[in-house]
Amino acid sequence: MLATPAPGLAETRDNAVFDALLWTLSRPGLPRGLPEPGEGSIISALLDRECLVYAADPLLMPEIMRTGAEMADIDKADHVFLGAMATFDTLADIAIGSDYYPDDGATVIIRASIGSGVALRLTGPGVDGAVTIRLDGLPDGFWKVRAARLRYPMGFDLFFVDGARVVGVPRSTTVEEI
Amino acid sequence: MAYVATRGGERAIEQSERLFREEMGGFDRARVDEVKKSLPYLIDRVMGEASLYDEDLAALALAQTGGELYEAVLLLRAWRTTQPRLQVAEPVEQDTLFTHRRISAAFKDIPGGQVLGPTLDYAHRILATDVLQGASYAPEPVDPADTPSPAYQPSVSAWQAENDLLDPPAEDPTKGNDIPDLTREPLLFPSKRAHTLQSLARAETGGVLALGYAAMRGHGQAHPTVNELRLAEAEIAVTHPDGRQFSAGRVKVSQAEVVDKKGEKLGIGYAATFGWNEVKCIAAATLDLNSPGAEKGSATEEEFFLYHTEGLESSGFCIHFKLPHYVTFQSSLDAMRDAKAKKAAGAPKQQEPAE
Amino acid sequence: MSLSTLTKPWEAMSYGFLDGSAKRELRRKMLKSVAVPGCQMPYASREVPMARGWGTGGLQVSLTLVNPQTRVKVIDQGADDSVNAASIRRFIARVAGTPTTMDTLDADLIQSRHRIPEEILREDQVLVLQVPNPEPLRPVQPNTSIARQMHADADYGRMWLQLYEQIVRSGRVMQGASYPSLVHGRHVMTPSPIPRWDVPKLHMAKHLTILSAGREKRIFAVPPYTRVEPLVFSDVPYKVEEHGALTCTRSGTTGFFMNEIPQDDGSSAFEVSDSEWGVKTIRARDGEGESRGETWYKDGEMPQ
Repeated sequence: MLATPAPGLAETRDNAVFDALLWTLSRPGLPRGLPEPGEGSIISALLDRECLVYAADPLLMPEIMRTGAEMADIDKADHVFLGAMATFDTLADIAIGSDYYPDDGATVIIRASIGSGVALRLTGPGVDGAVTIRLDGLPDGFWKVRAARLRYPMGFDLFFVDGARVVGVPRSTTVEEI
Repeated sequence: MAYVATRGGERAIEQSERLFREEMGGFDRARVDEVKKSLPYLIDRVMGEASLYDEDLAALALAQTGGELYEAVLLLRAWRTTQPRLQVAEPVEQDTLFTHRRISAAFKDIPGGQVLGPTLDYAHRILATDVLQGASYAPEPVDPADTPSPAYQPSVSAWQAENDLLDPPAEDPTKGNDIPDLTREPLLFPSKRAHTLQSLARAETGGVLALGYAAMRGHGQAHPTVNELRLAEAEIAVTHPDGRQFSAGRVKVSQAEVVDKKGEKLGIGYAATFGWNEVKCIAAATLDLNSPGAEKGSATEEEFFLYHTEGLESSGFCIHFKLPHYVTFQSSLDAMRDAKAKKAAGAPKQQEPAE
Repeated sequence: MSLSTLTKPWEAMSYGFLDGSAKRELRRKMLKSVAVPGCQMPYASREVPMARGWGTGGLQVSLTLVNPQTRVKVIDQGADDSVNAASIRRFIARVAGTPTTMDTLDADLIQSRHRIPEEILREDQVLVLQVPNPEPLRPVQPNTSIARQMHADADYGRMWLQLYEQIVRSGRVMQGASYPSLVHGRHVMTPSPIPRWDVPKLHMAKHLTILSAGREKRIFAVPPYTRVEPLVFSDVPYKVEEHGALTCTRSGTTGFFMNEIPQDDGSSAFEVSDSEWGVKTIRARDGEGESRGETWYKDGEMPQ
């Protein structure tokens, strides 16, 4: 019968990206390495023509379009790329899903500096007790707006990308600024 | 080491497949071609349930599984799902179907005429046992009609809608890639119209018949009249990435419209599938007809009949009961024994639950 | 755009059988299932070359996660040598070229039907549980649309009532396996038909558990360090199977979940259900070295 197929370069990269995303979302606040810097590898691992995507950074658009995904308004998008955030206004419109289908809450990817800036104390599923992480480059009031928008199990899930590092903060995580 | 029998399991499953294949013998292109040529209605049924129109692949699946229908459909579905979705064809309008057979039970005659076409409906079903005695069977030649039937006709419901006998379904402008695709997303309820029709189109024939028949016998709100039943060929028009539209060929399709006569206007149920499969289309259209307002949990409720006519899932789950279940069994035994022991020890009976 | 940008070079089979789009959909849904622990997320659930009900949900998750370095263990009823476990293990190795193992401690990914191994799983391990029926409410509400609304409203009254009625009738909760459990204090989940013995292993575990029902097209997860609490009344404590004092007739190990083997004389013998634990115990007994890891249960009891 058929021989065992070997993974191509794209498959290998997508697999490694997802491994990082799944790991860090399962352990909020603990960063993980991506195979290459930036959002590009996340786009390729997650998106295809079934997706509706919003990107604040026009430079990401060609890469998103190549996956076959459709660009959409932020409130319709299942994946939201906010780039480097200047204000928290955009958070107001991100889809949080319904109580019937919480999975319609968006996956949000933001550029930030991991390890400097405001100290955050995370608790919730995936966290053994509590974990502290520093994140810089987010607009003031970000975490307050996030908390106000979440109505668990409705909400959106965050990935912060810093070069080739990514850290996840799902909607189930309670975040306190300290 | 006395304990390890691990390789035993692997050897056993390998040998069991060999046994199955040994009984059946080999197969090759010639066998596949013979299956394709001699069993077109079986091929149609398999293509419909697999939601994959390819006579060669369907014949191959039948040859490879020795005609185990559920296995053949599983082979085809598992192959189909790995293929890229390159293009969505243009919608096929009913009056563009190249029609072989088109009948209506609602009217003695219909615009475009009753076209009987190929059918065994009026054949005497006598098993040709003399063939086993050496006789051979050659079909009688067909006498062509004086005037050929028109190849293209509108649907009967279109005429009824014109005459205000029924409200035609609202036009759905969704096109191309935006059409929800059941093979790429889960069936959720209330079901999208496209999902309902797709799910019925690839439903298992016997399952659709069983539930459709239940509705026909009275477990539904509506008694169907076959408004139109059609066997046809549909032109598959696709658009090349450079913008040109071209025909990718014709596929055999069947469709049924059934109507009820309860209100001031006719209610309509519809189903269509790949291949020529009249029983499935009539039964599926009957379920569709009965589904609006059906009681939750009844056989004519959408969730009930769509879930339970999905042949790949129902057959798979059915045979999964062959797998060992001794852990769950053990777990229940433990609870049973404990409850029994408690009873024997005369544990004080607690109060009855509140009404 | 041209045809060649829409498609890819022909290959007889994609790596890991599933094509890129199937894997991406699963990845998206796995992230959502981790983000809302215990909540059933719908997914397309592609067909795989195995019949529905035979682990196709677990298989899709495994095929999406593996790469050629992933060491895979597959068990059914606790045993690596069960025919369907062998079949799935062989399939994953064949389409993804993964190394396989039977040692729980050696595995990166464990796909299982109806059991969680007795040795404690580490944080670098993923447990994939095959799920026949993902809906804990089905016994009280067979209609999925209504059941979904009940989850949305956290309306678990009928679930509680059912357990209460069992206690009144039989003096105990009669639920065998698949014991309904509250995850992160919000969603009631079925832990799949694992015995009650195994449910406490999910509570605040170090590893990630992904539960996937292929036929029913639902995926859900228990992230590490997440509360998983069996539904119990405060005055009727949760009871695991009374296996803590049983001894395996083959390996001599005591204090683990056992298979009961009826004997000709009407009595029963017991064999440890986690087959690899039995093998390791025999190896240690025969002086071939100690390879057993830390176990969840100690002396037949789960430490609180």
